[in-house]
Amino acid sequence: MSERQSASGNIYDLGYRRYEGVRLGRRHAVVTLYLHSLRAAFGLGRPATAKIVPFGLAILALIPATIQLGIAAVASDIVELYSHSGYYSYVQWIIALFVAAVAPELVGRDQRSRTLTLYFSRSLLRVDYAIAKVAALTTALFVLTLLPQFVLFLGRAFAQDDLVGYARDNWRDLPPIIASGVLLCFFMASIAIAIASQTKRRAFATGGVLAYFAISLAMAGILLATLGGDTGGWALLLSGFHIAQGFTLWIFNIEPSSSETSSTYDLYQAGLSLWVYCVAALVYLAVCLGIIYRRYQGISA
Amino acid sequence: MPMLETRGLTKRYPGVTALDSLDLSLEPGIIGLVGANGAGKSTLIKILLGLLEPTEGTGTLLGFDIAAQGPEVRQYVGYMPEHDCLPPDMSATDFVGHMARISGLPRTAARERTAETLRHVGLFEERYREIKGYSTGMKQRVKLAQALVHDPRLMLLDEPTNGLDPAGRDEMLDLVRRTGSEFGIAILMSSHLLGEIERVCDHLVVIEGGRLVRSGPIGEFTARTGTLLVEIDGDHAPLLARLKAAGLRVAEEGRALLIAFDDDRVYDLVRDGVAELDLGLVRIEQRRQQLEDIFREPAGV
Repeated sequence: MSERQSASGNIYDLGYRRYEGVRLGRRHAVVTLYLHSLRAAFGLGRPATAKIVPFGLAILALIPATIQLGIAAVASDIVELYSHSGYYSYVQWIIALFVAAVAPELVGRDQRSRTLTLYFSRSLLRVDYAIAKVAALTTALFVLTLLPQFVLFLGRAFAQDDLVGYARDNWRDLPPIIASGVLLCFFMASIAIAIASQTKRRAFATGGVLAYFAISLAMAGILLATLGGDTGGWALLLSGFHIAQGFTLWIFNIEPSSSETSSTYDLYQAGLSLWVYCVAALVYLAVCLGIIYRRYQGISA
Repeated sequence: MPMLETRGLTKRYPGVTALDSLDLSLEPGIIGLVGANGAGKSTLIKILLGLLEPTEGTGTLLGFDIAAQGPEVRQYVGYMPEHDCLPPDMSATDFVGHMARISGLPRTAARERTAETLRHVGLFEERYREIKGYSTGMKQRVKLAQALVHDPRLMLLDEPTNGLDPAGRDEMLDLVRRTGSEFGIAILMSSHLLGEIERVCDHLVVIEGGRLVRSGPIGEFTARTGTLLVEIDGDHAPLLARLKAAGLRVAEEGRALLIAFDDDRVYDLVRDGVAELDLGLVRIEQRRQQLEDIFREPAGV
């Protein structure tokens, strides 16, 4: 009997080995969770169905830039369809749909399956968890913002037939592209996670995020129309989309267009100085991060 | 240095005191934490892990202060919660590997230890499938694996047999016992079933209503509280008198005698008494101690 036991033991049980290597501690835990969440944002390491929505939206956000690139390939003259400063206005709903779909995946799943308990019983602090999640969603959004801007930059450069020359003449576009892109991603991610982290129910979280952007956009439009420029202009500060548009123009140092067909006409009508939208964005960020912090300090695990 | 020490640990909720000034000092071993539902077992474990803040009192785990050194101590602690905590759409391999890295292991070490640990808990080919298809028993194994994968010094297991059928219960208890005795990992395991604790643990802590009822080695426990049942053919009065004269505590229960069981000399006295009085011995057995008996008579028979 003992012989049989040791025989099967040789096959399956190699004996327990202690782990004597390094333990990388809290910072490593945060980085691991960040990378895991970044992958999860695109459904990587998940079933194929989890990839459809994030990849689909990322591709949609790239389409305008790709069109510009395609035009550059066939028409050598510059046919400028999309500007860097206006790009986000074209894709704002795509970005909103992305955060509405992905934020509940990042923060709701762990509440739903109660994996949060396991994270909090590791070296991670609660605030570390929140930081990793906001950072992951912010980074994921770069694919929908900075990547198309880069493609757009290439498209415009190819249209000139002189890549190096275009880059030399226009490299000054890059700092505002990156600054506005990073701020936009951080802004959208914080709003989405502040809302989505309040519930473990995915439908409520997604609905909540979309409802914020849709209702605030509609209210801003209605108040601006009914109250008129001077008072109604402040109503734009309710709307995430308008704030994003405002600080993007401020960063690019471009005034809103007075043309009624322009996407920035609301901002022109409101007549607020563009730095006001920057301040509003920072206030939103502070409030959202505060909400997220409080949520995770209080959540039972 | 004790593995676990608490001083005046108290947790009060509005209207309920979950832990009431608990003083514990435990050496490494396999420790059973017994109490009825609501006795404060989970609360104690969660406070030790920093998942809950105590209202009053202090504690140390492995010599680390649980309030001030949470992230450090949690590198060396594994936790298996009572409730579900597994993401349904990940495989056991991916999830346990992820938790290994969250616990501070570098990628390669995490992969190796994940494979070893899953083999130890008895998950083989199925470890590549999504967890949502697992049986309760398999899920419990994954929960145990994620608590063990980073080679902790101490594992806190909250009702590890919860929801298992008798066969699964036996397997889980065997796993816990082997992990503790063969791997040399200290274990604190909670249960509301004394029988489970008896099979696995070498030290017993009984709490009730958030208070410590008793703490001691399991042998001492049964010695102090054990009962020997003796049934003889015919009148047992002479034997009763004789055993009482020998200084034993004896009670009558129907046709049987119940004798407080201090040590093996009780067997000798019964044997000699039966032989010398020329009685027919029908039955002699050590009564299995029920949890309720301990609560009823905390000081012994």
